[in-house]
Amino acid sequence: MAQNPAYNSALSGNPQSATARTYPNGNPALGYNPPGARHTDSAVPLHRKTAVVHDYACDGPAPGNLAFRWTYGSNVAARNRDPRVQVVQYNEDTFVLRQNVCVHWEAPFTYLLFGNAGALLIDTGATANAQAYPLRETVDAILARWCQARGRKSVPLTVALTSGEDAAQNQGLVQFAGRPDTTIVPKPLALMKRFYGLDASWPSGSGRIDLGGRVIGVIPTPGTHRDGVSFHDPYCDFLFTGDLLFPGKINIGNDRDFVASLERLRDFVRQQPVKWLLGGHVEMMFVPGKYYPRFATYKPYERVLEMTPDLIDEALAHAREIQGKDMMLIRPDFVLFNGVSPDQKTKVWPEGVPDINPPRPF
Amino acid sequence: MDRRTFLSRNAAVAAVPLTGLSLAALSDTAAAAARPAPIDFTSDLPAAGSFPKRWICGSPSCMDNTDPPVQVHWYNPHAAILRQNKAYSYEAPFAPLYFGNDRVLLLDEGFVQLRNDWDLRGVVDQCIDDWCRRNGRDPASLELLVAFSHLHADHYAATNQFADRPNTRYMGLTHEEMVGFWGMTRFPEERVTLDLGGREILIWGSPGHVVSEFTYYDSYTQILYTGDMFYRGRCYISFWQPWFDSMKRLIDFCDTHPVAHVMGCHVEISKDGQDYPYGLTYQPDEAPVEMTVQQLREAYAHAQKITEPGIYFTGTVFLCNQTRGTTTIDRNPYRYD
Repeated sequence: MAQNPAYNSALSGNPQSATARTYPNGNPALGYNPPGARHTDSAVPLHRKTAVVHDYACDGPAPGNLAFRWTYGSNVAARNRDPRVQVVQYNEDTFVLRQNVCVHWEAPFTYLLFGNAGALLIDTGATANAQAYPLRETVDAILARWCQARGRKSVPLTVALTSGEDAAQNQGLVQFAGRPDTTIVPKPLALMKRFYGLDASWPSGSGRIDLGGRVIGVIPTPGTHRDGVSFHDPYCDFLFTGDLLFPGKINIGNDRDFVASLERLRDFVRQQPVKWLLGGHVEMMFVPGKYYPRFATYKPYERVLEMTPDLIDEALAHAREIQGKDMMLIRPDFVLFNGVSPDQKTKVWPEGVPDINPPRPF
Repeated sequence: MDRRTFLSRNAAVAAVPLTGLSLAALSDTAAAAARPAPIDFTSDLPAAGSFPKRWICGSPSCMDNTDPPVQVHWYNPHAAILRQNKAYSYEAPFAPLYFGNDRVLLLDEGFVQLRNDWDLRGVVDQCIDDWCRRNGRDPASLELLVAFSHLHADHYAATNQFADRPNTRYMGLTHEEMVGFWGMTRFPEERVTLDLGGREILIWGSPGHVVSEFTYYDSYTQILYTGDMFYRGRCYISFWQPWFDSMKRLIDFCDTHPVAHVMGCHVEISKDGQDYPYGLTYQPDEAPVEMTVQQLREAYAHAQKITEPGIYFTGTVFLCNQTRGTTTIDRNPYRYD
């Protein structure tokens, strides 16, 4: 009797064992696809007769994935070769786009939401030049692909801004001028109010953008900008807060409005489920309370984009604390600047927050 | 006695075999024959030269920048000025390169460390090769001195690129080594003379921005190079009294010596006096780097009235008296009532 019988995976009940197969990683002589397989763009069946209608009503937030790490520029900005627009698909109907840090240091986030009757682009990035920042081209490509997957010829697009005056978010708007089947929410404050039906009720009222089964709420949130608005997506339970509340250096334009807007958001969050707040930028680092300076084109240790709704309460408490004072205030997830230079520095460190020196790349 | 005579004298005394001696003598005479007459750096002063109308100053989108990482501008045939592209670093410092008959002096460097990122050493070597070709010299015969105005990374970080360069000396990275490099015993008052081979560079201390900073005056172009202690932008003054004394020394120098241009190491201000905030990577309307002696005197006159920490505009530069850690000039543009 053999002392060391060779291991036979088939006899051991493991016919799929990699080591026992002739070609454990597949026979390279064969083609990539088995006979009869066809290349498809999506898992959705081909040649559907009618357009897919999605039911956006769901219990709890719609699932999805957000990137853990975004493209973050490079040490030598001129040598950066990352995509100019980074596209992350959160789920089939929700996209997050980020501008490359080396195209513009503000590196704003732009959101694209789909409903049964339309698409909504929230914000448009910091660069008008379509060669440097091909936002329109990217959005068109996403729309075309989405339409193909849903069996549609086209989908109307609405372009809205979290602030019409913010040069870090309104520059890409010109790329959409003259685009067919497109509604652009006007930039001037008065026209924007009229568009959302907020003429009489600004800033306490609310507006809506109906995408067909997915109704985006519009909440006036002036404070960092006089024409600031936030958008609420009841499908993913997101609140898009733009420049009002984001993990970065929040430059308060008017502290009274800022506090009032945070109170409005806090009340909103009490009534509606909100999973995350998604802001317009990331400027904080992974370590609490540390942030990248303005104009930084290399930000390898960024904090994640998403904020939990309890940060509204924290922001509100500290916004009240600095109301009427010209000062800056550091918190673990954001920094408030009220009435001071955006480059203001302080030696005051928040109590109880570990003071960690982040790695400093040359 | 220089190295060459030292070696040949030993060889003569030891009476080495004839072939070796005659070979050495032959090569000596060959070198002497090939060597052109030394360039005269002492007449027709100041040597004429020009600054460019516009420097390379970044681009709105950094990753679309197609300019070279460093702009080489020949101020005149014997002085080059290097300036880093803003899209390669927001610091974008200037770096003069002065040529003499025996030595080349590189003052300051770009804000770069690795030759992979961009190759400052290659650019400097190319400049030296060009100059040698124009003047019939052998690049290997020139000694390169890599010096810097002060110990901030945008001025010294590229030093390691020169570490293995033959016939090169560079400053150490401590105050003592820097002072020792120029052979100074009484910093900052003592003024020493560096001879590049017929071309004299006057060097003395200018503390104030940092403790250990130097001013370099080139007697040929008569450019007064003031580093970060006085430049067209935000002069971050860490130590007021030493800085004020350094200004006094500059003024005294200008009273007794002809100065064609005062030149700092950065430009952070636009033609119409607008401040370009710290870290900006695109400066389309930036002011020229060179300043006049009159502007230096105005700044000194202005400084005499300053008693408090704060930011003061002299008409040419911002004097940021002990404000570096607290604030800048910029404001939030979206403030409203």
